[in-house]
Amino acid sequence: MTVVRVVGCGTPSAADDAAGLIAARMAGEELAGVPGVEVVEAGGPFHVLDLLEGAHAVVLVDAVRAPGGGRPPGTVVRVEAGPEGLPADVGRSVSSHGFGVGEAVGLAAALRPGHRIVFLGVEAENVAAGWPVSAPVRRALPGLAHRVAEEARRLVEGAPPGEDGEEA
Amino acid sequence: MTHRTVHVPTIARVEGEGALHIRLRDGEILDLRLEIYEPPRFFEGFLAGRHFSEVPDIVPRICGICPVAYQMSAVHGFERLFEVEVPPGTDELRRILYCAEWIESHMLHVHLLAAPDLLGYDSAIEMAATERPALERGLRLKRLGNDLLTAVGGREIHPVSPRVGGFSGVPSRREMGAFVPRLEEALEEILAVADWVAPLAQPAFPRPAELVSLVHPEEYPINRGRVATTAGRAFPSEEFEERVEELQVPHSNALHARFVDGGAYVTGPLARANLNAERLTPVAREAGTRAGLDLPTSDPFASMAARIAETALALEESLRLIRGYEPPEPPSVEVRPRAGRATWITEAPRGMLYHRYDVADDGTILEAKIVPPTSQNLRHMEEDLRAFVPTVLDRSDAELTRLAEMVVRTYDPCISCATHFLTLDIDRGEER
Repeated sequence: MTVVRVVGCGTPSAADDAAGLIAARMAGEELAGVPGVEVVEAGGPFHVLDLLEGAHAVVLVDAVRAPGGGRPPGTVVRVEAGPEGLPADVGRSVSSHGFGVGEAVGLAAALRPGHRIVFLGVEAENVAAGWPVSAPVRRALPGLAHRVAEEARRLVEGAPPGEDGEEA
Repeated sequence: MTHRTVHVPTIARVEGEGALHIRLRDGEILDLRLEIYEPPRFFEGFLAGRHFSEVPDIVPRICGICPVAYQMSAVHGFERLFEVEVPPGTDELRRILYCAEWIESHMLHVHLLAAPDLLGYDSAIEMAATERPALERGLRLKRLGNDLLTAVGGREIHPVSPRVGGFSGVPSRREMGAFVPRLEEALEEILAVADWVAPLAQPAFPRPAELVSLVHPEEYPINRGRVATTAGRAFPSEEFEERVEELQVPHSNALHARFVDGGAYVTGPLARANLNAERLTPVAREAGTRAGLDLPTSDPFASMAARIAETALALEESLRLIRGYEPPEPPSVEVRPRAGRATWITEAPRGMLYHRYDVADDGTILEAKIVPPTSQNLRHMEEDLRAFVPTVLDRSDAELTRLAEMVVRTYDPCISCATHFLTLDIDRGEER
C-alpha cells in the first residue's frame, strides 16, 4: 500500500506550467529508496482526482497564479487542504484545462473528508506553450523539490507536517 | 453593468480566457461575442520541422482530456498517405482505446459539468453533499475509461503506445480480459446514470441546426468515415478544407469555422447520434431513451443524453472487441514516408477533429493544420446565444449568466472543463 503519493501536476513544454512535473521528478530522486512513497506525474486535473485516491496522504506540487497577481514569480506556497479543499488565496493552479487542481482537491475533500492533502505551489511567471521554464521558477525548483521530498518524508514517518505559508 | 469572473483558465491563461460579452439596449442585443482561446494553434507551428514519427508523442499534449483523438487523427492520416497496412487487429485495438477516451470524457462532462447545472449547484464540489452516490458512480465509470486507456495506451494520460504503423506494444489477452466483468457492470451503471438525469429539468431550446459528423456503413463512427450532415451534404475527409472555411473574427483568437457555401454547423455527440441513430448499439439506444434522447433533435440540451448513449455504446463496443481480442502480431509494421498531404478526421468526444500535415519525402512536417471540434462549434455557439439570450432577458444577471453558460456547456467546449468558465459582461445600458 502506498502510504504517501507525491503528485506532480502541470503541462510539459508550457514554460512554468511544467514546474510541478519537474519538481516531482527531482523530489523522486531525493526520495529514492524511501519505502511507502510513490512519485507520479499527473496528466491533468481530472487525473489528479484519481491520484488523490488510494494513498494515506498526498503531496501535490504545481505551478500557481495568485488571484490578481502580487506574488513574485518563484514564490513557493505551502498549504494543507481542509474540508473545503484549498483556500482561494493560494491562487489558481495553472492547469491545461479549466477544472483545476483546486477543484480536484475540493471534490476529493468533499467525497473523502479527512484525507490528508498537502499542496506546494510555485508562482508562475509565464505559462505559454512552447516556452522554457522562466528564470525565477527555475531558481526556485531545487528548493521546491526538496520541500516536496521533506513533506513526503514527514508524512510517511508520521512526523509533524510543515507549516502553511509562502516563501519568496 | 455587471462583471462576474467565474473562470478557471485554459492552457495559455496569459493570452486570454473564455469570455462572453453581451451588450443590451432596450431588450435588444447590440453585441454578443464569445471568446474562446484555442491551444491547438500553437502546436501547428510547433509541429513544423518535426519528423512524422514524433507527431503521435507531441499532439496528445494538446489536450489532457482527449489525447487519443489527437493521436488517432494524426496516425491515420500518415498511414493513408504512406499507404501503410497495419497488422490485423490494430483497428479494433484503436477503437477500444478511443472508446476508453469517450467513456472518460463523457462521464466527466455529465457528472462534473452538466449535472451541477441541472441540480442547481455551482459546482460538482457542492453537489457532492447530496449526490454523493451518483457522483461516485460517475467517477467510477470515468475511472474505468482511464484504466482501459492505460491498458491499451501504455500510460494513463498521453498514451505512448500508438504509433504510425500500429502500436509500440500491445496488451495481452489476459490483461484485456480482466476488463470484461467491469464493463458488464458498467453497462448496468450507465442505465442508472440515464435514470438519474432523466427527471432533472432541462431548458428546451429546439433551434434548427445543421448537424455534422462522420458516418460509416459498418459502425458508429469513431476512427473513420465520411463526413455527412443533416442538410444532406456528404464528402470525404480529404475535402474538409475545400468545404469548410475558417474565419478570423476580431474579438477572438479562435477561428470560426463554417461551410464555404453555408453557415455555422454543429459537431459532437448530438450530431453523431442524429446521423448514426441506426448504428447505436442496444444498450446505447436504451440509455439514450431513458435519459430523454428523442432523435432526431437539434436541441443542444439533448447533448447530455447523447453523451450517456455514447458512453453505453463505448462500453458495449469495448466489451465486444475485448471478447474477440487477439493481440496484433507484430504490433506494428515498418513505415516508409513519402512526400504529400496527410489528412484525416476522427470523432473526438467533442466532435470531428481534422488534421492535415504537408510532409516532405523524408517524413519532415512542412506544415500542420489542426481544426478541433471546439473551433468548429464556436460560430454556432454564438448564434445559439444570440437566439437564446433574448428569451431570458427578464432574468437577473446571475441567472442569465447561468443559463448562457449552460447553453455553451452543452457543446462541452474544451474550455468548459471548468465548472464555471465564463467571464461574463452584461451591459444593459440605461436599463438599470
